[in-house]
Amino acid sequence: MKLRRTRLYVPGNNPHLMENVGLYNADAVILDLEDSVPVTHKFDARILVKYSLQNIDFGKSEKWVRINGITTPYWKKDLREVLPYCEVINLPKVESYEDMEMVDAEMSIIEDENGLERREVVPIIETVRGLVNAREIASHPRVAALAWGGEDLTADLGIPRKKALILDQVRAEIVFAAKANKKQALDTVYSNIRDEQGLFEYAQRARYMGFDGIGVIHPNQIEIVHQAFRPTDDEIEEARKIIEAAKEAERNGKAVISLNGRMIDPPVVERARKILQFAEVE
Amino acid sequence: MEITNLTENLFIYYLHTLIMIEAGTQEKGDALVIIESSKQREIIVESKIMAIYGESIKKTVEEETADFVAKIIVKDYGALDWVLRARLEAAIRKFTGGEEP
Repeated sequence: MKLRRTRLYVPGNNPHLMENVGLYNADAVILDLEDSVPVTHKFDARILVKYSLQNIDFGKSEKWVRINGITTPYWKKDLREVLPYCEVINLPKVESYEDMEMVDAEMSIIEDENGLERREVVPIIETVRGLVNAREIASHPRVAALAWGGEDLTADLGIPRKKALILDQVRAEIVFAAKANKKQALDTVYSNIRDEQGLFEYAQRARYMGFDGIGVIHPNQIEIVHQAFRPTDDEIEEARKIIEAAKEAERNGKAVISLNGRMIDPPVVERARKILQFAEVE
Repeated sequence: MEITNLTENLFIYYLHTLIMIEAGTQEKGDALVIIESSKQREIIVESKIMAIYGESIKKTVEEETADFVAKIIVKDYGALDWVLRARLEAAIRKFTGGEEP
């Protein structure tokens, strides 16, 4: 599974902000055609994003595009223009499995026409209806990860974002929905770009809630989030021992893995692998 | 009746001559491309770095708009070549196909 600790949002109609995205080492870069682009610039942005996907060096970052939602007249045009050149479609305001089916059908047509490999989708849950259907949405084969957005969701709930008391339940539901389907769970952004300590604590909290990453809105946030998602030395050491014990058991043809006299279950081995992946060590 | 037709035709001609579209922005690293209806091909490039990049910008505009009869104005704000090509494609498609947005 790919590391998706950070996904950097970049406005889709601002070439100056796109030029150096590959230097920042975000796990993913999202060129945004939705909220950051005014209606009068949707067409220009769509063409610009198509060119940027083909001309910019994205470095190690995965290429994502956030297209416009399926209730707008833009989403099909967005897909037709950018799908051949990106790896992941970030789809806002998904509310049901049927929404995913509709987008899946359109993507399949474009993929077949262009001889493309199948692209992945990361739906964003931004409404109460979407949240209620999150487990079904996450079960769609196109879905690689589940993300959520706080502003629209709290507006839909009719509560002010900063005073909302329900967001940890929302987060938990996103994690359950994603993990029940063996998909990644992605938390929303931390919007105060000057508060580094607050960002670190926010990202670490997301990690311990079961998220695989958070959104970032400024390149300076990336390294801090990667540090927050880095397992502790003790966690890494423990994970190494577990993996070594698993390899030892395999070499000796043993079905049961044991470490220091206690049995190790397969999910624990899987968690150890994930810890080493997050630690970016072999 | 004839007078009405003549007025309509003149109005349509007047509208046709007024067609003008824009693509891009005046932000740093971008370019603003303006295309206006014209009976002859004309390319105007404005850039603060005209002395260094003027020829290269003109070459890109020529490549992307070859045989396109219109007045094409490019206001460059330090756009990279691919940005200029993106803005030119957007402008041409809007001008010829009425694609919006």
